[in-house]
Amino acid sequence: MKTGEQDPVIVDCLSKVYRVAEREGGFKAAVRSFFKRKYLDVKAVHEVSFRISAGEVVGFLGPNGAGKTTTLKMLAGLLHPTSGSAQVLGFKPWERSPAFLRQMSLVMGQRNRLAWDLPAADSFLLNQAVYRLSEAEFHSTLKELDELLDLSPIMRKPVRNLSLGERMKCELAAALLHRPRVLFLDEPTIGLDISAQARIRAFLREYNHRTGATILLTSHYMADVTALCERILIIHHGELKYDGDLSGLSRRIAPYKIIGVDLMNDVRADLNLYGTPVQSADGNGKHRIQVKAGEVAQITARILAELPVLDLTIEDPPIEDVIERAFQE
Amino acid sequence: MTKIYLRLWQMNWAVQWQYRANLMMYLLYGLVSPVVFLSVWRSVAASQGEVSGLTVNDFTTYYLTLLIVDKLTSEVTIHLLAHKVYDGTLSNELLLPIHPVLTHTLVNNLAFKALTFIVLVPIWVMLYLLFRPDFTGVTAVTLLLAVPAVIFGFVINFLLGAVITCFAFWTTRIYAMSEFMYGFLILLGGTFVPLDLLPEFAQRIAQLLPFQLFLYFPIQLVLGRLAFNEILINFALQGVWFVLLALAFVWIWRAGVKRFSAVGA
Repeated sequence: MKTGEQDPVIVDCLSKVYRVAEREGGFKAAVRSFFKRKYLDVKAVHEVSFRISAGEVVGFLGPNGAGKTTTLKMLAGLLHPTSGSAQVLGFKPWERSPAFLRQMSLVMGQRNRLAWDLPAADSFLLNQAVYRLSEAEFHSTLKELDELLDLSPIMRKPVRNLSLGERMKCELAAALLHRPRVLFLDEPTIGLDISAQARIRAFLREYNHRTGATILLTSHYMADVTALCERILIIHHGELKYDGDLSGLSRRIAPYKIIGVDLMNDVRADLNLYGTPVQSADGNGKHRIQVKAGEVAQITARILAELPVLDLTIEDPPIEDVIERAFQE
Repeated sequence: MTKIYLRLWQMNWAVQWQYRANLMMYLLYGLVSPVVFLSVWRSVAASQGEVSGLTVNDFTTYYLTLLIVDKLTSEVTIHLLAHKVYDGTLSNELLLPIHPVLTHTLVNNLAFKALTFIVLVPIWVMLYLLFRPDFTGVTAVTLLLAVPAVIFGFVINFLLGAVITCFAFWTTRIYAMSEFMYGFLILLGGTFVPLDLLPEFAQRIAQLLPFQLFLYFPIQLVLGRLAFNEILINFALQGVWFVLLALAFVWIWRAGVKRFSAVGA
């Protein structure tokens, strides 16, 4: 990375407001709306600002309708913002200059970009022509992608005959043939089975190491984020709520730990005295309580002293809980 | 750039070929109207001897030529592009560093045209043998001049279709709009009836519109029924409409893409 080179992604007060026609259901309302339309302004993205440095892998989290995909589409140049600015590799994305489009890629999970009735290999060849790749460049990149994604058995079958996991691999390959410097991924593992998800994650990690591409991905799956992203951005109701690493988020939102206590001999004990029960105790004497991070040592000591403990575990709160709390803020 | 078109052509041809049964249906559907008009006008002309100076043979040669000219100049952009605007799949094409309409849509049109034309040929030959028209007006010169007329005719029709389809960025009623325009096209383009048979004022309107530039004009040109100055004027009109529609398309496409909400997250 050259010194003084600009960050590949710079977003400043980016906003997107949609005007949506609104009406109630029913025939009368439909007729009324014919004469007088009621509009609603939906703030899909509101003054979001962040920067991403070259080679970073950043996760973009948020509940449905938070504005993640809208933001991503603006950065990919598919949507014009209502206000604010964004620069990707020094370009204004929505001007869609060919030079910009040749250096970036957007992969949307469950979206089909490959020619449906033809083998993926044909779509690869089209991309070679579209992105003006030389024979040498094309074949070496394809070989590398084949290695990482195991494309050989599937790239000559018509895309419509592939499973979702296989199709996703081909979609990724097609999107990376031109070795983009910035890669946007919108829910890349959605709908895939566990092993397919793991493979895609491993691939993205490896791709980032090999090429230094900057990656911004949105996901609902915690495993995507924990496996790939050093840094996460949380967006909710169109606003950026958090920008930092995952452990920092834990510390800020949910400074608590979960203590799991396994008691001997079916002993019934009231663990409310020690902390907030997280799960109702089942018959075998297993309990889980939530305890403030600062008090863990103290409470653990008390439990060990006062109760017949068979087993005791101290866990971080599940990431899902942390994120959910962040959303509720 | 050529590589892109070659690849697109190869891919589109392969896909169209897979759906060739569908294409046969479209072709046969497209044949119905002209053959019906032909039969009707022939019987009218036969019973009256002629209609406004046009004989049975004039109608036969007109409609047989129409079948070919129409096939060569027609476009199907609305069926290719409008749904992509509505369901958001246009995003896929917008992410590539090429113009979606001037590449994907254009080549798709051409592949469809090529395949259906191949199937049209034997059907046309059968109709020729059935009706035995007298094509004496057609000469090497008229055929040669018809080539640029047909090519430009297609280009104008294509741009017109593209401009109309771009209204899909603003309204969902695009198919209705297109059908509405199609009604004008078959009347004022010369499909429903050769333009000579329309009343004066209608003929003048037809001359101001682009429709006849890809139907009536090339047909009459091939059949040797145009005077030299008429040919020149029509070529000039093709030039004018080409420029107008090209500018209109560039402008409306840019405005439309800006408005595109890339739905289907």
